[in-house]
Amino acid sequence: MTALRCLPGVGPKSAQRMALHLLERDRDGAARLVEALRTALDRIGRCRLCRDLSETDLCALCGHPRRDRSLLCVVETPADVLAVEHSTGFQGVYFVLLGHLSPLDGIGPAELGLEILEARLDEGEVREMILATNPTVEGEATAYYIAELARERGIRATRIAHGVPLGGELESVDGGTLAHAFAGRRDL
Amino acid sequence: MRVLLQPAFILHRRPYRDTSLLLEAFSHEHGRLGLVARGAASVRSRLKSVLQPFVPLLLSWSGTGDLAALTAAEETGRPAPLPPGQVLAGLYVNELLVRLLPRQDPLPRLFIAYRMLLVELAAADAEPPLRRFEKRLLEALGYGLSLDRDAASGTPIVAEQHYCYVLDRGPLVADSGVSGVPISGRGLLALRDGMLTDPAVLREVKRLTRAALAEQLRGRVLKTRELYRVKREPESE
Repeated sequence: MTALRCLPGVGPKSAQRMALHLLERDRDGAARLVEALRTALDRIGRCRLCRDLSETDLCALCGHPRRDRSLLCVVETPADVLAVEHSTGFQGVYFVLLGHLSPLDGIGPAELGLEILEARLDEGEVREMILATNPTVEGEATAYYIAELARERGIRATRIAHGVPLGGELESVDGGTLAHAFAGRRDL
Repeated sequence: MRVLLQPAFILHRRPYRDTSLLLEAFSHEHGRLGLVARGAASVRSRLKSVLQPFVPLLLSWSGTGDLAALTAAEETGRPAPLPPGQVLAGLYVNELLVRLLPRQDPLPRLFIAYRMLLVELAAADAEPPLRRFEKRLLEALGYGLSLDRDAASGTPIVAEQHYCYVLDRGPLVADSGVSGVPISGRGLLALRDGMLTDPAVLREVKRLTRAALAEQLRGRVLKTRELYRVKREPESE
């Protein structure tokens, strides 16, 4: 039960339910779970190009023959890759930072693997870098820092837009988002 | 203890448990304090966008000790966001405050200076306002720089004279065989008056405030400076 509590959102009560369920009613399921966890732990590492989780040295997206390698999207987490993949039709490749610059927590450029990113930019294949870090202060600082790396090499760096959610109402949007939406308005 | 609608800024936030945030805040009347914002990091929370650094807030909390519980937070008008290039300067100042300010030590004048600094950062070059704020910070910590008199003779600083600033004494005339931070009289007076327009003077003053802050930091390295260093490297080549 204590082991199950390492999962997010699982408190003592849920942990007890899960443990009893697996032991009393679904021993096969428990065996499968054990197996799946073991293989995942053994086999899944990081892609050497984009740092995303991957079973192989090069992940499926980086190794895909039809992906546009001149478009590079920089995100904070593997979950962000899934989100962008799922809803945008983006056909380029990714780079996963696994965090954002956060000096007060001791996270600097080295911790984010920016030297790998720089090496990638130096190869010259990337024409545009899309900075899709979170719209927080640290996310913005990270985006700016990486954009500088791109600028030094004459590579175009773009930042994703921030604005009012689709189907939302202006009056219920928080002030910061609205301010961003106004600053980033564009011609119709 | 309950505190209601206290003007404050968030200096730093980090995730705590599944849906909460640990905040480091700087408030007008209660100085720096630690706060827990329960549920603020959950998917539906509106507080997530409010509890951001550099946004003037009114915070309410209850509890004492090192970690109080945040009970409410609202924005008091959002200024223009810091331009991306100045965010680093803002983070640098926040790191200084987190490292140097004791908790729950009210520093209202420094708070006002911080608020002004953010306005200035949004408007213009970062360096002069940063140096002015560093001077204020040192004063607030009780280690204010002495900028108008020679520490040995007590005579007023002469703009054309060269000095050596010895950190625990003050400025001494440079040729008296002492070691310290070299600085011109002009630099000392410029920092005293906050009139930092000349780039050469700015460089001198930066050396001085940096040395004085380093003494307060007692060997701890500021991570934000690393970001500057890496960024500036290509320029110096």
